[in-house]
Amino acid sequence: MSHLIRSELRKYFSTRMWWGMTLAMFFVGALFAAFTGYFTLYGEMPVGQAMVSVKDAMPELTLVRMIYSAGIQFGYMLALVIGVLSMGQEFRHKTISNTFLAGPRRHQVVLAKVAALVVILVVNAVAHIAGSVLGGGILLSTAGVTLFPDAGALAQTFALMALILVVWGLIGLGLGVLIPNQVAALFLGIAITLIVEPLVALALSFFEGVDVLAKFFPSQATTATLSVFDGVDPALAEAMGAGGDQLTWWGGAVTLLCYALVMTLIGLLLTRRRDIA
Amino acid sequence: MTVSAPAEHPPRSRDAAIVVRDLTKKFGDFVAVDSLSFEVAPGRITGFLGPNGAGKTTTLRMLLGLIRPTAGTGLIDGVTYAQLDRPLQTVGAALEATNFHPGRSGRDHLRVLAATHGIPDSRVDELLTLVGIPAAARKRAGGYSMGMRQRLGLAAALLGDPHVLILDEPANGLDPEGIRWLRGFLRHLASQGKTILISSHLLSEVEQTVDDVVIIANGELVRQGTMEELHGESTALVRTSNARGLIEALQGAGLEAGDEAAQGPGAVRVTTDDLVRVGDIALAAGVPVHELRILRTDLERLYFQLTESPERQNRNRSEAGPPPSGPPVDQPPGAPGIPGPGPDTTRGGQR
Repeated sequence: MSHLIRSELRKYFSTRMWWGMTLAMFFVGALFAAFTGYFTLYGEMPVGQAMVSVKDAMPELTLVRMIYSAGIQFGYMLALVIGVLSMGQEFRHKTISNTFLAGPRRHQVVLAKVAALVVILVVNAVAHIAGSVLGGGILLSTAGVTLFPDAGALAQTFALMALILVVWGLIGLGLGVLIPNQVAALFLGIAITLIVEPLVALALSFFEGVDVLAKFFPSQATTATLSVFDGVDPALAEAMGAGGDQLTWWGGAVTLLCYALVMTLIGLLLTRRRDIA
Repeated sequence: MTVSAPAEHPPRSRDAAIVVRDLTKKFGDFVAVDSLSFEVAPGRITGFLGPNGAGKTTTLRMLLGLIRPTAGTGLIDGVTYAQLDRPLQTVGAALEATNFHPGRSGRDHLRVLAATHGIPDSRVDELLTLVGIPAAARKRAGGYSMGMRQRLGLAAALLGDPHVLILDEPANGLDPEGIRWLRGFLRHLASQGKTILISSHLLSEVEQTVDDVVIIANGELVRQGTMEELHGESTALVRTSNARGLIEALQGAGLEAGDEAAQGPGAVRVTTDDLVRVGDIALAAGVPVHELRILRTDLERLYFQLTESPERQNRNRSEAGPPPSGPPVDQPPGAPGIPGPGPDTTRGGQR
């Protein structure tokens, strides 16, 4: 089993994708944190009739957290891509035959991929967080705000960001098994999260009783996990795009883990039976 | 012209390295492999032959646990592939020459496989030297020629130093020089006592290499035996102006002889490989001899008859829509799930 994990890690780190992806994670973190930093530190938002400075309307921790985690939505899309490609590349280039010849007990191969993805996504998470701290840190310094107002709470945020990337990677893996065509899998994965999910959530909001389901959707659970709008005036939060009723941070994390678990199980079951022609 | 390997009849059943028993695979209504049974003797090179679409690749993939059989079993060393403890150290398989990630170097491709069995990098470099691509293997596989892909595939198969090798069309896409290299390489492996099962759609490609043949058509077994059995008994051809007299003289000497009209007027066929004796009998009988030679079995023709005779007509083909316009050896159009060794569509830097 540890041999199979080593093999999967070699697979990832022996193509150019690994550093391309790491760089992308870094720059996505840096750019989004810098932009969000600029708008929150120097921008004003309308609340009711008045324009308020965003910086003054927010607790400092929430402000800093919002800046550092600004790139997470783009980041987990990249994590989804990594997960899909982990399986999709094997089908695309037919290396799956060799993989299963070396690991004929296929559930072990899928579990090795899961373990390797955890390592790979933690590496990417470190790059992403480093980028965020750099990009956001520069803006925070210019505005004279402390970089780490509550180190403990921010450490938790960073850990949760890593968890989010890992979970979305595993969702991608399941998707990659479900749809062996990697382009179709990527398209579907991104279309569902960016277009279908918000539309369904909007549709649900018109129906009393079922509208609570929306907060369990993957993107909404992800936002909840980071408690981005903690302690912000609800009117301002709504103006900044907060999605109404949200899960607690741990409720969001558990929901995400459930998605990862379900997708991994789907991956295990489908992979066992599939003919590799 | 056959081989340097032991000439005695191959041991059957008990010691077989590979046993295929009643193996069947259906893809929907389409029967790709139809209760196929054969055995591969240890320490010999066995050619697994059949036209494109006959079910060779599907059979090999079932044997290797990549495709689930509809019925029947394929055993290697008495167990299924999935039951092998360290599969790469028992069986080496080279399936298709396109199984590489174009962005990964050939060497890293091997290192990925080596890691699964804890095989050291030194073994990887050793094999790259053995197949003759130590320098090229450090470049990305996307730019490899067909010959390099086949060599890399062989290196991958040999990684765990297995005693059974399963090679699917290893000569496909090789130039004459590459085919000659492959023959020598396979003989070298056979001399180490390895069991080799090598598939091909061309008998001529492997007839100088293999000891035994398993011929299938339409997913069914057509013939299994040694190359000697396939060649049949040696026959000589004599041409004379007095065929009747010569036949009588030969039969009088206890030889089996008869007309061979297919070889033109005055041709007589004798079941022997002793040309001197035939000549002496003719001289003693006072019959003139115009030609005297060993009649080679036209293996290619025999193979064609075995696999393409009307009752063997590939039903895959007739069911797959419009009748093919090309010659009968054409690839069946899009038979489901049977990747024929067709043109390489996944080459060249795509990812």
